[in-house]
Amino acid sequence: MVSLSNHEATSAHPILEVAGLVKHFPVRKGVLQRAVGQVRAVDGVDLTLAPGETLALVGESGCGKSTLGRLVLRLIEPTAGSIRFEGQDIRALGDRELRDLRGRMQIIFQDPYASLNPTMTVGDMIAEPLMLHGVGNAAERRRRVAELLGLVGLMPHHARRFPHEFSGGQRQRIGIARALAVEPRLIVADEPVSALDVSIQAQVINLLRDLQRRFGLSYILISHGLAVVKHVADRVAVMYLGKIVEIGDKRSLFAAPRHPYTQALLSAIPIPDPAVKRRRAILQGDVPSPLNPPPGCRFHTRCAFARERCRKEEPLLETAAAGHRVACHFWREVPAMEPIRAGIDADPQLVRLQGFFRSRRRDERDAALASAGART
Amino acid sequence: MTAPAAPDAKLLEVRDLRTYFVGEDGTSRAVDGVGFALPRGRTLCLVGESGCGKSVTALTIMGLVPQPPGKIASGEIVFDGRDLLKLDREAMNDLRGNRVAMIFQEPMTSLNPAFTIGDQIAEVILRHRKIGPREARERAIEMLRRVRIPAPEQRIDEYPHKLSGGMRQRAMIAMALALDPQLLIADEPTTALDVTIQAQILELLRELRAEFGMSLLLITHDLGVVAEVADEVAVMYAGRIVERADAATLFRRPGHPYTIGLLASIPKLTVEQDELPVVEGAVPNPLALPAGCRFHPRCPFADEECRRTDPALAAIAPGHEVACLKAPLERHVL
Repeated sequence: MVSLSNHEATSAHPILEVAGLVKHFPVRKGVLQRAVGQVRAVDGVDLTLAPGETLALVGESGCGKSTLGRLVLRLIEPTAGSIRFEGQDIRALGDRELRDLRGRMQIIFQDPYASLNPTMTVGDMIAEPLMLHGVGNAAERRRRVAELLGLVGLMPHHARRFPHEFSGGQRQRIGIARALAVEPRLIVADEPVSALDVSIQAQVINLLRDLQRRFGLSYILISHGLAVVKHVADRVAVMYLGKIVEIGDKRSLFAAPRHPYTQALLSAIPIPDPAVKRRRAILQGDVPSPLNPPPGCRFHTRCAFARERCRKEEPLLETAAAGHRVACHFWREVPAMEPIRAGIDADPQLVRLQGFFRSRRRDERDAALASAGART
Repeated sequence: MTAPAAPDAKLLEVRDLRTYFVGEDGTSRAVDGVGFALPRGRTLCLVGESGCGKSVTALTIMGLVPQPPGKIASGEIVFDGRDLLKLDREAMNDLRGNRVAMIFQEPMTSLNPAFTIGDQIAEVILRHRKIGPREARERAIEMLRRVRIPAPEQRIDEYPHKLSGGMRQRAMIAMALALDPQLLIADEPTTALDVTIQAQILELLRELRAEFGMSLLLITHDLGVVAEVADEVAVMYAGRIVERADAATLFRRPGHPYTIGLLASIPKLTVEQDELPVVEGAVPNPLALPAGCRFHPRCPFADEECRRTDPALAAIAPGHEVACLKAPLERHVL
C-alpha cells in the first residue's frame, strides 16, 4: 500500500490553512448576564494541513484542542482569524455555501453513544447526510449505505438495526460510516478511540488508517493519547492554554521534543512495559485557568527552566529543525530528553505469538494485492 | 520486586467468588469464579476491559453490592483471617473505612459537595476513633499534608468544587487513608485525570503504599498504569481471571492469548509499527456467554476443544497461572 510520505504531503497545496485563529468565550454572571471575563480557549493559532495528511492536536483538558477542531469546521464561530479550506475563505461563506462545504468536512466524536440518534435505524442515519446533500434516489442511497457499512467492517443487514444493538466499537464504526457518506476530504476526529475498550481501539485505529489510504483523506486527530498519536499522525501540534507550543513532523517531535511541556507530557505517559527505565520529570501543579492565563509564557508557572524573561515576554514559534517549531525562549538550553526505549528486546517467541493477531482486513488486503500482482 | 511472599503473609484471599445480577432478561454472571491472593504490603492490579467484572469484584469485597439485584452465589473473601462474607452489617461497617478503604475514578462520588474537605475527613476519623473534634481536625490537616496538598491549613476549609481534579483526588485519598487502613482498593483512580496529573497521583500512591505499609488493590483497564505500579497482576475476561503473574512475567512472557493480543494491540511509544495487531470481535454479552472458553470466539489459537471445554487456571510456571487449554502456547502452536 502506498501512502503519502510527509514530504510529499506538505509539498502539495494545503487543504486547510488557518491563520491567527482566536476563540474567546465570554463568561457571564448575575441576572443581567454581564460578561465578567473571557475564556481564551484558542488564542492565536496558525496551522496548515496537506491533502492525505494527519495532523494531531495534543494537550491536556482545557488546552483548546477540541475548540480548535470545531473552529476549523466552523461549527463554532471564531472571534478572529482566517480559515481557508481548499483555498476558500470559509468565514466569508453564507449558510447555503457553508452547508455545501460541510459535505467535504466531517467530524467524528469521542462518544459514539451520544453522537448517534437512538430512534433512527443505522441505515437511515447513514443515509441522512446523503439526503441533506441531495445525493441519489432512495435505491441508490440504500446501495451506498450497504457499501459504507462494508467499508467500515459492518454488514449490510446492520442498516435495519438501531444503535443500542451495537457495541461501542461498532457504534464508532457507524459514526465513521456516516462521516464518510458524502465523500469528505477532511475529517476532524475528536478523541475517536478514547471511549473504547483497549482491544477495540486498535481495530478503529487501523480502520481510520485504511480509509485514509484508500480515499486520500486528511485528518485532524484530537487526542490526549500520545501513543495513539505517534502511531497515526504525520505531524503533531502540542497545545497548552490555547496556544501551540510545539509543532513538527512526528519523528522529529517524538525523537527530540524541545519544549519543556512536550517533554513533560511524554515523560508522564505510563508505558506498558515495567522494564522501561526512564528519568521522569513529573510536572507539578495544575494547568492554570484559561480565564486568566499567566502573563509571558503561559507555561512558566509549571516550567522547571523558567526565568525572568518567561514571566514577561511571550515566546513565539521559532524553527528548531526542518519542519519543527517551538515556542520557548530557551529551547536551545533545555536539556535534550532521553529517548524512551523498550527495556529489553522483545522475546522472539512472544513476537511470533503476537503475529497471530494480524487483522483479517489486512490479510484480505494482502491477498487482494497478491492477486492483483499475479494478474499483471 | 521481592520474592513471592509466604502464605501466612496474605492479607486478602478471595476464593471462587461469584457475584451475579438477576434481571428481567436473565442472570448476568458478572464475577464467575474469581480467586486471587494479595500479600501484605504489595500491589495487585486487576486489569480488564469494561464488563469483565473487575469493579464488581472490588465492590463485593467492600460489601457494596446491592442485594437484590446482586447476589453472591458462592465464595470466600478472607481478610486478615476473617471471611468478610460472613460478617454482619455492623462488623462490616466497622471494617469499612477503618481497615479497608476504597477510592473511585470520580472523586465527587465520595466527596460531599456541601461540606468542606476538612469536615469530611474529620467525620471519618470521629466515626471510628475515640478522639475529640480538635484532634480530628489536626489529623485531617496532617493527612492533607501527607497527600502533598500545599497549604493544608488553608485547604482544609475549602469545599470540593474549589479544588482541581487532581487536588480532589488527593483529598479523597487523604480521606481513605485517614484511619491507616491495611488495604486500599483503588478503582480506576487516574482514568479521569490528565496524563501529567495521572503521573502525580500514581507516584503519590506508590509513595503512600510504602509509607503506610498498606496493601493496594488497583483496578484499571490501562496496561500502562499496571506496568507503573503492579507487583502482581490478574487479568480478567468475562467474569473470570484468565491469567495471574508477577508484573515482569506478565509483560515479558504473557501466557494467555487474550493478554498476548491485548498487549500487542496497544500502540507503543517505543516501537515503530505500520499496522497494529488486533484482537478481533468484542467482549461477549454477559447474558449470553460463549460455551467452552469464553475467549474462544476472538482467539486465533482456538480449536474444537476450546469451543467445548471451559479451561481452569493452571500453573505454567511457578507463580504464573493461565486459563487456556493450549497453554503453554509456544509448545502447542509454534
